[in-house]
Formats: sequence, structure tokens, C-alpha cells
Amino acid sequence: MTMKMKKAFLYIGMVSALLGSCTKDFNELNTNPTAIPSEQMEPNYMLSRTQYNYANTGYSQLLFQSMWTQVFASTFNYYSNGDKYVGSANLISYQNRIWEEDYQAASIATEIGRLAKDKGLDNLYNASVIMRILIMQHVTDCYGDVPYSEAFKAREGVVSPVYDTQESIYKSMLAELETVTAALDPSKDALTADLFYKGNIAQWKKLGYSLMLRTAMRLTKADAATARTYAEKAAAGGTFAGVADNARVMTDNSANFGNGTSAALLVTDDYRDVKWSKVLIDYMRRNNDPRLTIIGEIPQAGLKANEDASKAGDRDSSRQLGMPNGYDQRGGATDISRAPGYPGGTGPANDFAPLGNYSRPTTALYTNRSGVEFVLTYAETELLLAEAAVRGWNVGGTAAAHYANGLTGALQSMATFNAEIGTFTPTQISSYVNAHPLDQSSTEASLKQINEQYWATTGTLFNFIETWCNWRRSGYPQLTPVVYVGNFSGGTIPRRIPYHSTEGANNPSGYQDAVSRLGGTDNFTSRMWWDK
Amino acid sequence: MRQLRLMIFTLLLSSVAFAQTRQLTGSIKDAKSGAPLPAVTVQVKGKNLATVTGADGAFTLKAPSGPLTLQVSLVGYGTKTMDVGPNESNIDLVMDESSTQLGELVVTALGISKESKKVGYAITKVDGSVMTQARETNVAYSLTGRVAGLSVSSTSGGPASSARILLRGMASFGASSPLFVINGVPIDNTQRGSAGEWGGSDNGDGIANINPDDIENMTVLKGASAAALYGSRATNGVILITTKGGKKGTLQVEYNMNYALDKAINFTDYQYEYGQGQLGSKPATQNDALNSSRLSWGSRLDGSQFTQFDGKTYAYSPFKDNISNFYRTGSTFTNTVAVSGGNDLTSFRLSLSNLHNEAIVRNSGVTRKTINLNVDQKVFSKLKVSVMANYIDEHSENRPQLSDGPMNPNNGLFLANNIDENILAPGYDAGNNGREVTFTDDIYVTNPWFVINQYRNNFDRKRLISAITARYDLTNWLYAQGRVGYDMINDRQFQVTPWGTAYQYGVQDDVTVSGSMNLRTQQITEMNADALIGVKRDITQDINIDVALGANLRKTNNEIVAIGGTNFIIPYLYSYNNVKQFNRDNQLYHKESQSAYYSVDLAYKNFLTIGTTGRYDTYSTLPEANRNLFVPSVSASFIFSELVNIPNLTYGKLRASWANASGEPTDYYITQQVYTVDGTINNTIVASFNGDLPNLNLKPFTLRETEVGAELKFFENRLGVDVAYFHRKTTNEILRGDLSWTTGWNRQFIGTGSTQNKGIEMAVTGTPVTTNNFSWNVSVNATNVKNKILDIYGSNSTNTTFTLGTYRPLNANTALVKGMPGPQVMAYDYLRDANGNILVSDDGLPQRGELTPSGSVLPKWFGGINNDFTYKNFNLSFLVDGKFGHKLLSASNYYAVYRGLHKMTLDGREGGVTLSGVKADGSNNSTAVAAQTYYQALAQNVSAINVLDGDFIKLRQVTLGYTIGDKILHSTPFQSIGISLVARNLWTIMKKTDNIDPEAGFSPLINYAGIEGTSLPSARTYGVNVNVKFKR
Repeated sequence: MTMKMKKAFLYIGMVSALLGSCTKDFNELNTNPTAIPSEQMEPNYMLSRTQYNYANTGYSQLLFQSMWTQVFASTFNYYSNGDKYVGSANLISYQNRIWEEDYQAASIATEIGRLAKDKGLDNLYNASVIMRILIMQHVTDCYGDVPYSEAFKAREGVVSPVYDTQESIYKSMLAELETVTAALDPSKDALTADLFYKGNIAQWKKLGYSLMLRTAMRLTKADAATARTYAEKAAAGGTFAGVADNARVMTDNSANFGNGTSAALLVTDDYRDVKWSKVLIDYMRRNNDPRLTIIGEIPQAGLKANEDASKAGDRDSSRQLGMPNGYDQRGGATDISRAPGYPGGTGPANDFAPLGNYSRPTTALYTNRSGVEFVLTYAETELLLAEAAVRGWNVGGTAAAHYANGLTGALQSMATFNAEIGTFTPTQISSYVNAHPLDQSSTEASLKQINEQYWATTGTLFNFIETWCNWRRSGYPQLTPVVYVGNFSGGTIPRRIPYHSTEGANNPSGYQDAVSRLGGTDNFTSRMWWDK
Repeated sequence: MRQLRLMIFTLLLSSVAFAQTRQLTGSIKDAKSGAPLPAVTVQVKGKNLATVTGADGAFTLKAPSGPLTLQVSLVGYGTKTMDVGPNESNIDLVMDESSTQLGELVVTALGISKESKKVGYAITKVDGSVMTQARETNVAYSLTGRVAGLSVSSTSGGPASSARILLRGMASFGASSPLFVINGVPIDNTQRGSAGEWGGSDNGDGIANINPDDIENMTVLKGASAAALYGSRATNGVILITTKGGKKGTLQVEYNMNYALDKAINFTDYQYEYGQGQLGSKPATQNDALNSSRLSWGSRLDGSQFTQFDGKTYAYSPFKDNISNFYRTGSTFTNTVAVSGGNDLTSFRLSLSNLHNEAIVRNSGVTRKTINLNVDQKVFSKLKVSVMANYIDEHSENRPQLSDGPMNPNNGLFLANNIDENILAPGYDAGNNGREVTFTDDIYVTNPWFVINQYRNNFDRKRLISAITARYDLTNWLYAQGRVGYDMINDRQFQVTPWGTAYQYGVQDDVTVSGSMNLRTQQITEMNADALIGVKRDITQDINIDVALGANLRKTNNEIVAIGGTNFIIPYLYSYNNVKQFNRDNQLYHKESQSAYYSVDLAYKNFLTIGTTGRYDTYSTLPEANRNLFVPSVSASFIFSELVNIPNLTYGKLRASWANASGEPTDYYITQQVYTVDGTINNTIVASFNGDLPNLNLKPFTLRETEVGAELKFFENRLGVDVAYFHRKTTNEILRGDLSWTTGWNRQFIGTGSTQNKGIEMAVTGTPVTTNNFSWNVSVNATNVKNKILDIYGSNSTNTTFTLGTYRPLNANTALVKGMPGPQVMAYDYLRDANGNILVSDDGLPQRGELTPSGSVLPKWFGGINNDFTYKNFNLSFLVDGKFGHKLLSASNYYAVYRGLHKMTLDGREGGVTLSGVKADGSNNSTAVAAQTYYQALAQNVSAINVLDGDFIKLRQVTLGYTIGDKILHSTPFQSIGISLVARNLWTIMKKTDNIDPEAGFSPLINYAGIEGTSLPSARTYGVNVNVKFKR
């Protein structure tokens, strides 16, 4: 070997040594400097995230359930999925929305639970389970049998979770709720990022039992015995005592955590084209409901004014007019101008608003971009207790008293949207409540009245999935389906949402199993377990 | 062997009798050393008369009288011919290795030059001149149809859009462009944002920044063994760019001017019988007109007057000129000046170039200034230093949004067939607070004139690609080389969704607000440091060895800083102090790889070369246990024509190679779970966790390729054939797979993908005619690739499809399907009964059936034919290319059917459509449905109708040039002037798609390959190129 070759190999050796010395740092190099590693993570901070994500699913609900339940109506083709059960181009992404939003929110809740357990944060763990159940009930109520027992376990390698039956999911949720709600303890760790109650553990306990009550009452058709057992447990444990206990999220638009429902309603097309349904406004008028003075407004005349959110409408309750569901603006037989009682449009020919005489949701009440998102309310729990009492279950108090509390809570809750417009005086409330006692002429009459009120209350509080669930369970109000050419539900009101469109590809075994239990078709019409 | 050949020739000789003969004697020597060359075959051309030289290099040959041509040949020295006069009898010849006409050098990996005959894998060199005359704003487009095995697809996204460049098919799931290497320095070719189903603009790729005037040539290294030395990024192949340099002893000033005009091509062939309206009626009111501005379901266009959505009255008559009216004539003006020269110690080239482009979309275009400097300096006799600096300053104005409606300037493409798009101008209402004038019932379909006049989407890039190389020749056979390459990119994107935008118009806290803005800066740096020791020497007289040992360090940093705001408070003031909400983003990415490699070539007598390479990589992106990988390659080349003499075969080479290449994940930080703080809600802290499932078991993926090929030249090189067969397979491919949302994470990184590509690529070059004044050269290339997805989620998984991209109608997508060629178009068929009859719904409509794989979007066959004619100083060339055997997913087709523009929708306008099929009860359908209801349900439910056959043949390029040479210019300062007229995309000779360009597409990403919709129309380009070389 010549001297020069020796030199050459020396150089190579030096270079390799230089390179080799650096690889130790590769672990550090492959760590994201803008993210937080597990060991530094404070799990409390994710509680606010899961609460916000779950509460802020209003846009998804506007698209489907707000109109399936005939709370809202629209002639706009974009809302055909909701108003007429006719697929628009975006139907698949809409049917996926709640699935994605809720599973994501629930996965955060699950992750909080995992970290909380590791760190010995008992209250946080228990709160995270309540959150997970709250969200998962939303999911199963929309889709039916879904992954539950094996969900959220990709970390453990479970990437094709089984679809549990809704029955087993409900029973599991009830049992878990009982455990974690009882275990909440004000003397233990504080919840430091709680959007519902600012860490008030007593209120979390009430939330746990109120959720238990709602979960139990969902089973009146499918398994009345279980429903009764847990409804009674919930009542004994203590449900919401007033609207101060309402579970809700105040959104914060300035921090980019705005109210998605408001944002959707303020989009020009939606603003112009989403109207209260004739069914709801007629109900309110029939019952002389004071909410009719605040929830709707007739836009100022003309299309430009109909599109301009700065132009307040007329809230005079005598002028409010709901729009019938099932109409369009295509000039044919189902054109809105051919609807019975069509009031005509407003504005001159070059600024004509064909829907200008129908009531829209009041802008000042409902479209605050930092406005409230209701999750679960005192009004709902009191109405459910009223029903339980009507059924003769031992939930404390009388059906009539619970019903009166329900009406009171419903009216009082409106102030959270906007205190200026939404506040009713105690006198207004008591005179309305006193004038509308529970009809106890028969069990059926009571159930009808309670559940129609539940429909109007959850509808005006924009909890449309809850409105839809309770309609499916109770059958009230009796709604007439829209029958429109090309609809996806055989001319009936949808009773479920088809599964997420990628489940067939991403979890074929679980999906196929679930679809076979549906009778082979993943559609909008199959009834889920508690709806049979 | 020598004896055998001698025997054969002797036999041949003895079998021939001569009428008149003479004796030729002579000797043949090596040109360099002067040593006598034994065993040289000496032959009288055209006759079976031959002999071989003896040990002393001498020969004696009986030859016929009269003039003749003597041909001598020797392995390793090639063939040489010499004319012998009738009276000559003593002939002395020298031969040298360079006398072989095929001793052409090619640049291979790491910039190592090799004789092409020694290369054991497929390489194609493309001369820079094909990129400079008929220009594209992305130089990669100029490779279309030129190179066997290389498929280039453009993006319908405006000037300097990205290219999808696939070498030998879809190499892997995430197949992207080959690695581009400029003068030995790998450069960043990352795609900077592209459109998906929800819109987006194409912000170009890295290769588009390069000025074609600076390119001497490009060398396409197709196979894995060619590219093995580049490690992870070479799995998609490598394209080496050599830039122009200065030549010793010259000083040259050159000026090049190119001016090209772009004209949008109208591919539509819509129906113009029934106009705007719904359910067979023309709009009765202004509101009807607004609701039907993009629906041609009205009554017969009869010229009657009606009220349009703008409240004005128009004739109800066809309007066919929207594409030619709305899109202006675009232009690209490029000026380049270059100075080059050199002496014994220094050579250099400096060029300055300016490109000014105006796109066919108004208020949109690109300007690009480049400075390129190459200097080679001999510091002293053994040390040579080269410096390259390429500075690019690019500004693109208003890059168009594609695919989806928001801010898309192409939203007029599906207007009802009686509307003049110009009535939408200027798109905003100055009298109504500048609000967008909406023209449809969907505010997310922005008024195209509003987009042109108000939208801002500017993209700036400042980039310096630099390299310094030092080479020290320790001896004449040993050298050491060091190189540092640095590619630094600064991008700045400024976007304004303007005040008045309909879908962002609203009220907040009683103030009217609208619009948003975003400023995003990104700095990417890539540093490559290489050290190399090279040995090149003869071990024996017949065996030569060429060794390179080296190491590489690569560091990549990427930082994004963005600020944004939504809802302007004061109209038209686009300042971050004038917004109601702020947002910000900061992302930091680092990665590094360390590698060592070797390359050894052993050559025997210059006709047999065996090469091997190996590379050991360590990747920072992978988990500690699995971050190292060694990948080897072996190749061989054999010049069989040196051993056997086949009539008319001038040169024959066989080559074979086997190689492994490796790849790392393209994503960063995927090996641990992380959490992020997202801000606050009413002062409560909000945090979340990342939905990407970390994977601690990832390994580098590998690609294994076997290639065999042949290179043959016949008739004194007038016909050449190059054929290659390749077979490549990936294993452990890392893919970012979707997880079911139910698992808690929505994406996972798994390492179980496997793709196979096999195919044949072929290039034929010929010179059918060549005379003093006229020559005709033709080159043909054709490629056949068969792709198959072997595995996706691992053999244990029941999942067989991996969803890729979709189009805006959302009712079909592309996907990888195990066992099938990828990517497949997945579309819904009709719902059918057990007998295959179409099942019609009770109301007479087609229903959605199975989601069915409907064919791959990647062509099975592609290729091109280029003809080049030269007559005196004229030159004419034209390129025809085509692609075959693939499908497209067309949103335009969906819209054309859904909106009543497609000619097929004429059927059933009167009396409705009765779909031939059966109802649920088994009876034949007899329900007639209004045409609008029927075709809209068809387009939505049966997306299979939007799967089109993508075959096409195009006349891609024609150039006609004339060169004014010395003779005419002798009294001028000019040395030569070349003028050429050029045209690109002149004629679509064959296509099978209605209404669209089969090459249309909104994204260069493999996920969106074959998917098109609502993008810029393709353009035809006409131009002139003037090249002036000045005298010294």
C-alpha cells in the first residue's frame, strides 16, 4: 500500500468517525419541538377540548336533524338532505360528520382518562368517563350498533374494533355512569379546564345523574325495566336542580373557538334560506308559547335585506309564520309559491325575496358567534322526570311539578342565548306555566304533552339530535313525512344515519358484521334497538 | 477466441478466388503509446477479405485492385475505416480508444462520468436544446414524450404549475417525482401546495424554478441501480441536470429571446338546444334565473327575451364564446444573456434571465429572474475547485384556486349555455359596500370576475442553489473530492379573501365584517456534504478498476411561520391590525441522514464491465432500533459486438442489473405521541392530542429491481435500438393509512405496503435519410408498465383498499386495491338485480349500486415519436406523443350531465326519460321522469358515468428553425443567429373524452392522478425563439 493510499483511508476513517458521532442525537432531532411530549402533558387541558368539540356539532345537526324533526324548513337544495331526505352532492360528507366529530371528541376524553389514571387524578378520570359516555350516546343514537368496547384502542393494536350492539352499549354506559358519578369527590383533584362548571364537582355529579336519567329514559320502548331501574337511581342520586346546572359551553370567537351553529346560520345562503318550520310555529301559536315572541323574526322586505344580518327583522309574534317542509324553488309542482297558504314574497321585482314573509331564527338571539351551545339542560331532565312519574316510577315529586319545572327551565334557558332578548320575567313564566298544566286526563295525553314540549324545547335550544332521538322514542309530535321525488328514505323520516363511508374500507370486518345485523343494508330507515 | 476468429477468416479467405488482386501490407499501432496492436481485424469493406495483425501489429492482405475501403477493428478500440487509393500498398494506421465512436461519456450517480458502454443500466440523455425552444414555464413538462419509461403529466393550474413525473410507473404508494440533482447537488423538489377536492392552488414544485437556458443536458437514471448511490430519495429514479459551463480558450456572449402566446383550447361540445332553466321551463323571474344560472334544463332556446339574474333582459339564445372571451391570450417573454469563456486555469459561465408571464387567467402570471454562475478554477495542477450558484427570484401573482368553488376563477365553465360570462363582470357591487355579485344559488361558487378583480393569492420564492466542489488529484489514479451543496428556499404566500366575499360576509357584534388574509412564510434548507475518494487504475493490461468510496451527510430544515386574520373591520384595508380574529402557526421540522457508500467497477478489456455499489444509511426519522439500512446493487455490461461480428451491427451491448434502494418516511416525527396546546376558550386553556398513531416498528422501506437490457446500433449508427425490461418490487412501504375514526386515531403509519411494477421500455433512433444538405432523424420511444398492488395493510389484514383522492362531486374516488393495478378509480355502478338488470326506484330513477374498481388512472402504454428534418440551415421537428390504457375521473363530466350541458341529456327533454330496467317487484320500469330529475339522479347515484377513457394522441410540439451562419454574418458582430417558430399542444389527434382535455388534472400528487374538474382550460402555445451568439 502506498503512502498516499494509506492517507486516503485515513481520511475516510476520519470522515466516518465524524459522522458516526452524531447519530446519538437522532432521537432528539426526531422530536417535534412545537409539540408536547406525554410526560409534560397536563391532561386537564384536554377536558375543555372534548367539551367544546362535542358541544360544537351544531352545524352537523342543522344539516339533518333540524329539518327531519320539522323544527326548521328550507327550500334550498343544499338543505334537501334535511328538509326532504333528498341527497345533495355532499350527502356522504354530511353523514360522516357526526361520526368524525364525536369519535374524535370521545378519543380525547379517553386519552384524558388514560393520562388521569396514570397521574392519579380521580375526579378528572371520572369526568372524562362522563364525557365519553355523553359523546358515545350521541354516536350510537345516530348510527345504531357502533364500536364501543374495543374503540379507542389503536395504541394497543386494535384497528378493527367490533361493532357492539346498541343494547350492550347502553347497559355498559349505565353501569359505568353509576360507578364514576358516585366516585366524584369534591375533596379530590380539581378540574382546572372545565368549560361546563368551572370545576364544580357537585355539579358534575348532577350531570352524571342527569345523563343517567336521559340514557335510561331512552330505553322506555326497548327495555322498560332497565329504564326504570336507572331512572330511579338517577333521581335518587340527584339530577339538575335548576338552569344554573345546565351543561353548556360558552364559545369564544375572538380566540377562534367560535360557535359553529351561528357561523353556519350566518352564511348568506343559510341566513336567507333557513326558516322555522310551519309545524313548530303553529305549535307555539297553539300553545300561546311566550317563546314565539323571541325565537322568530320576519326579515325586512327584499332579497338584499333577507341576506343582510345587520338588518333586524320584525319579532311581532302575530306576524310569525313557519314555512312548510318539502318545497323547493324550481318552478315545478313543489315550488314554494304553490304551497298552501304561501304568503308571497317581499321586495320589488329586482330585489325579490320569495321567502321574505316566513320567519327565520332571530338573528340577535341565535347567531352570536361567541354564543352558547347547550349540552344537557334542566328543562330536559325535568320533562324526562315528568314522564317517569307519569309511568309511575319512583323518581320523587309529581309529574305535574316536574312538567312545570320543565316549562320553567325551558323559558329560563333562553336568556343564555341573549339575556336582553331571551329573558322572561318570573311573572311571564309563572303565568305561562300556570296556564299550561300537565294534562293528566290519560297517560297517553300526558306523554304527548310532555314529549311535544321536549321537542319544542330541545328544538329551540338547538339540540336537534336530542329532538330527533326523543321523537323516535316517544312518537311525539306526530310528524307528516315529506314525500319528494328521489328521496333516500322511501318517503319516511330518517331513523338513523348510515355509517361513516370509509368504515367499509377501514374496518371491513366490523362494518360488515354491523350491516348484516341491519338486514344487509346500511340505510336511513332501519330502526335501532331502542327505537324498535 | 482470437484463434477461432482467425480460423474463420482464413476459411473465408480461402474460399474466395480473385480475378485481379494486389497485396496490401501495413502495421497498426496504439495512438497513445505507439505500441503495436496485435489481433486487429483488417477487412476490405464490403468483401469477405480479411486478416488479423500479428504480435508486431503487422498485416498482409490480398485485396482487389482499384480504390477500396479498409476497415480495422479491435476489441476495446472499436472500428475505424480508411479509404485506400488504387496505387497504395503500404498502409500504417493508428487506433486509440477514443477512436471508437461510442466512447460517449455519461454522467452517473454522484456526478461520476462513465463511458456509456460501461454502464449496466438504462440511462437516457436529453439535450438542453429541447427545453429552450418550445418552452414551458415548468421545464419538466418539456420531457413529455421524450424518454422511454418517463411519464410527465401537467397540472391545469396555470403557469409554473407542478408536474407529476413518474419513472417506470408508480414506484411506491407515495410515488412522486424523481430526485433532481444539479451538478451533483440534490435539490428540493417538494410540491408547494396543490388542489384537492376542497380546492387549493398549485404553487409549483422545485424543478419549475430552473431556467432551461442554463441546462446543458439532463440525464435520466431510470433504474434503482443507477440511483442506488442516492439512497432514500432515489426510489423514484434520478434526473441529473448538468448546467452549462465555459469552454477553454473561448469567450462567448449569447443572447436568447423567447416570446410565446398561450390560447385557451375549448374542448367542450355541449348541447345548445335547451337553455337555462329548470324542469323544462326558462326562468320566469330574476330569482328563477339565479337558481338556474348553472342549469341548462330550460325550454328550447328560441331567442325570446327573459329576465336574467342580474335583473336585465337578454335573448334566450345560445352563447358559445365564454372560453375564448373570458380567458385572455397569455404570454411568456423570456430574455437570457449568457457570458462564458475560459483559459487554461479558469472557465466560467454567467447567465442572467428574466421571464415574464401573463397567464390566460386575467391578473395572474409569473415573473422569474435567475442568475446562474458556474466557475471551474484550477488552483494548482492537482486541485480543481468548482463553484455553482443559481439564484432564483420568482413571483407569482394570483395563483388560481382549482377544483372547488370558493375563489375559483374557472367557475364560469358550467354556466347555462345561453349566458355570456361577461355579464358577471366586474363581479362586485361598488354601490353595495363592494359585495360580491353572486350569480348562482350557491355562494361558495364565487363569481369568477370577482375572483379575478379582488382575490389575491401571491406566491414569492427566493432561492439559492449553491455548491462548491474541490477535487484533488493525488496521483493520476487517485483523487479525493469534497462537495457541499446547499439549497435554500424562502417562500412567502400572501392570500386575501377579499372584503365582500359572499361566503364570508356577515355581522359580528353588530359590525359588518367579511374576508380574511393569511401570510405564510416557509424556509427550507437542505445541506448535502459529500466526501469521496476515487481510484481509477489498470490492475493488469486487461483489467481496469474504478472505485469510489464516500460519505454523505444530509440535513433538512423546514420552518413555517404564518399569521392570519379573519373579518376585516374597515373594508379593503388588508392589514393585520384590521381584523377581528387572529390566528398564527409555527411548525419546525428537522431531519438528517448519514450515509457511507462505495462504488466499484471492474472492466475487462473494455468490453465487459461489472459494477457494484453499496450504501449504508442512518435516518433520523425512524425509530432507533430500525434506522439503519444497507442497500447493495450489482450491474454488468457486455459489448458483445466486440467479440462477434454480426453483419450491419455496429455496436451491441447487453446489460443487466440488480439493485436495492431504500426509502424513509416522508413525514417527520411519527414515532411518538404528542400533544398540542391550542389556545384558550374564555381564558380556559385548551389542548388536544395528535390523531396520528405513532409507530415504533417502522423500518426503511426497500425497493428491489432487476433490469436487463440491450443497446444495438446498426448501419454505422443510423439505426439504434435500446430496450430494457425491468421488474421492481417494494417491501415494507410506509404509508399514512386512514384508521377507522373509532380507533381513537384517524391515521396510522404502517410499514406493510408492497407494490410491483414490471415493464418494457424501448427507444429506437434512426436516420432514414442523410445527404449533404438534408437529413431526417427520427426517434421513437414506447413504454409498457404493469403495476400491481401486492399488499397494503399486511397479510393478516382483511382490508384491501387504501383510499387516495376524490373529486368535488365526492361520489367516486381513487384507491389502491390489493391485487389490482393502482390507483383504481372507484365508482358507483347502477344498482342491479341478481340477473344484472338495472333496478329502478319506485319513482323511476337509477339507484346507487356497488362501489366498483373501474380501471387504473396510470397508462399501460405511453410513448412519443419525434421527427427532425434538416435542410441546409433549416430545421423542422415535430413531436407526437400519447398515453393509453387508463381511466379518468371527471368532475366536468359530472357537471355537464348534472347541469344539462352534456349532449347525452338531450335524450328525454320532451316526455321524460324512461330508464330501461326493472322495479323492485320485478316488473319492467315504465315510469317516465323529467329529464332534469333523471340526469341529476344519474350523475349523483351512478358515478361510473364519470369514469372516462383517457387514451390520447397529441401533436405536442412543432418547431421550425433557421440558422444564419458565419458566411452571411462575417461582417457583423454576430457569430450566428438562430430563429425558430415553435408551437406546443397544437393538435389533439385522438381522444375519447367528451368535453375535456384527457390530460386535465388539478393536482400533481399521485393521490389525485387522473382526477379533473373546474381548472384552467389547456392552452395552445405559439412562439418564436431567437438565439444570437456574438463574436469574440
